[in-house]
Amino acid sequence: MRIGTLKTDYAADEALFDTRLQKLLILLACAAAVLFPFVASPYWLFLACLCAINVASATGLNILTGYTGLVSLGQAAFMSVGAYTVAVLEIHAGTPFLLNLLVGGLLTALVGIGVGIPSLRVKGLYLAIATIAASVVLHFVFAHWPLTGGMQGLSMPPARLFGLALDQPFQLYWLILPVTALMVLGAANLFRTRVGRAFIAIRDRDISAEVLGIPLLRYKLMSFAVSSFYAGLAGGLWAYFFRVVTPESFPLVNSIFYLAAIIVGGMGTILGGILGAVFMTMVPELLKFVAGLVTPFYPDALALLAPVRTIVFGALIVGFLIFEPHGLAEIWRRIRRFFHLWPFRT
Amino acid sequence: MRDWTRRHVLSAGAAMGAGLALGIRPLAAQGADEIVLGGSIPLTGVFAFAGIGIHAGIQDYLKIVNDAGGVEGRKVKYVAEDTGYKVDASVAAFNKITSQEKVSLYYGDSTGFSKTINPELERRGSILMAGASFASELNDPKKYPLQFMAGPDYSEMFGILLRYIANEKAGAKLAFVYSDTEFGRDPIGPSEALAKTLGLEVVEKIVTPPGSVDVSTEVLKLRRARPDFTIFHGYVLAPIPEFITQAKQMGLASRFMGTFWSMDNSTVERMGEAADGFMGVMPYRYYYDTEGESPMLEKIRQMRPEYQSTAYLQGFVTALLMCEAAKRTLAAGKELTGANLKAGLNSIKDFDTGGLFGVPISIPGNSVPVGRIYAFDGKAKQMKPASDWIRLEA
Repeated sequence: MRIGTLKTDYAADEALFDTRLQKLLILLACAAAVLFPFVASPYWLFLACLCAINVASATGLNILTGYTGLVSLGQAAFMSVGAYTVAVLEIHAGTPFLLNLLVGGLLTALVGIGVGIPSLRVKGLYLAIATIAASVVLHFVFAHWPLTGGMQGLSMPPARLFGLALDQPFQLYWLILPVTALMVLGAANLFRTRVGRAFIAIRDRDISAEVLGIPLLRYKLMSFAVSSFYAGLAGGLWAYFFRVVTPESFPLVNSIFYLAAIIVGGMGTILGGILGAVFMTMVPELLKFVAGLVTPFYPDALALLAPVRTIVFGALIVGFLIFEPHGLAEIWRRIRRFFHLWPFRT
Repeated sequence: MRDWTRRHVLSAGAAMGAGLALGIRPLAAQGADEIVLGGSIPLTGVFAFAGIGIHAGIQDYLKIVNDAGGVEGRKVKYVAEDTGYKVDASVAAFNKITSQEKVSLYYGDSTGFSKTINPELERRGSILMAGASFASELNDPKKYPLQFMAGPDYSEMFGILLRYIANEKAGAKLAFVYSDTEFGRDPIGPSEALAKTLGLEVVEKIVTPPGSVDVSTEVLKLRRARPDFTIFHGYVLAPIPEFITQAKQMGLASRFMGTFWSMDNSTVERMGEAADGFMGVMPYRYYYDTEGESPMLEKIRQMRPEYQSTAYLQGFVTALLMCEAAKRTLAAGKELTGANLKAGLNSIKDFDTGGLFGVPISIPGNSVPVGRIYAFDGKAKQMKPASDWIRLEA
């Protein structure tokens, strides 16, 4: 039980992880993440990598939408910029994969800045429409530019590290998970700086933020840049993971997926982005497991339960939105609070 | 003996649960000599209309095979997962099934999946794959050595249509209407070139968003071009009925045609009045076809007295060809590796599929370049043959 907030300096007060238990849990999670590939089957490793990529992208969107209050439906399109950049560099230049990822992220950030320019004039749904328009333009470019392989897209060789091809979920796990962890850590730290706090100020009341001396255009564009950088990196990881990038790899519905992930997880919290992305990726798969359990008793439960599964997934999302509008992160926080006072107050 | 306390039981249970969940277990209960056919099947999502049929078709064929003693005495086990027609879910399903079973045959649900999984197929070298995609790109044994398709690719479907048209009306004017997708754009380039060599003139190419509804401006373009034949590709239903209805209202005398995925009898029937005279290319006989001898169709009709879709037939035929490849491989005393299975498949020459294809087939490469033109008979409410079987030279 926690009996008080006993902090004697500002550094302790600002710490990202403030309790010993929290630090212990993080250490345990890291240890589990390191051990995981050695015990899990390729299927679970595949899902872990997919979750990590989605977490990276959702965290990026969370910076823009959750923290800065700028609604974007262009996240998938931004990912496609990163994915195509990485694929083109890998195929034509053969540069090291970390450099490709970085270039992919930076180029996407530039595109993000371009797309973000209207954000000074338009907000909310109007901005969402502007980002959809940008997605359509990007889709058109990728579908018609010879460099990006037109509608057939690009098939790329795997990332290589000291001659070792990273073409299996087991090897890619060691690339994707650390990069995602760094990105999430970066995002968490961002909101302890002036820039991050400026984003929050803009979200809460942009006029007041400007009065406080925050140049709106610069910070809004910065938010777009950071968010797109995240999307570009996630797209690059995605490209190395699937190794085929086509204009149809990143449809608009993926942007909605990421928006749904941060809403379900909890907008404006780092944990929300993580939980939301994992929830949205894993729940459909876990529901398949439940359907699989019924199969021995009911022949062809797979086909019969397929539509039911989709409905249950939808109902779960609606349920969460009704019963916990602040998302999964708030549920987690409530559980933590409960244990703070346990067993004296339950 | 150790005393089992509740804590012990719980921890053992938790360990077992975690083990099961993480897939740390020997390959699932699989008979030593079972052949496994895995499948990433789109039972939900936009392609579910076909996925459900494909799923049933594969199951029915395997039931016939297993009831008759299996392939060279080995039973074939079907393990499928729903993918929602999403590439990431399809790859997840592939990983799940292959980590639980020793898979030799696999059914994939989309072009995207076929392309994505290809390097992994080659790396494993133990699986022969086919699927719902008839993409021309996949019909390249060098790039896709362990894959095939149970019919002509989309360019070959156009090839069959164009040969029919060239026979019907020399120098005919054509219009291509296709969706702005990889699926839609697939055969357009090669087919334009083929039309030229056959002396046909492509007077208009219209590209629309998939599933678009308002097509009035496109229909005007079509009217200006006055084609003799209009070929739709890259759609299942919408906007084909809208196109045909509006074009007929404007007095356009064009014949309208489609390719495999828009050719199911119930789909065409749903076009309403626009359906009458709608034509297209089909590699298989329809469920209700009684012309000639087709013992396999008889069996299907016995198993399922109600109409079965063309997607069902596609699944059925794919499973049939896969099993035939496995049978030939085992009969030659070879192991079931991807390369051996493909060699077994490619040894199929003038093979009778029990009447599912109207003519004996050969599979020299990755496709079965055979088809026939069917046209919808409004009175009988059925697609009826409009040509003989057309076989493209390899």
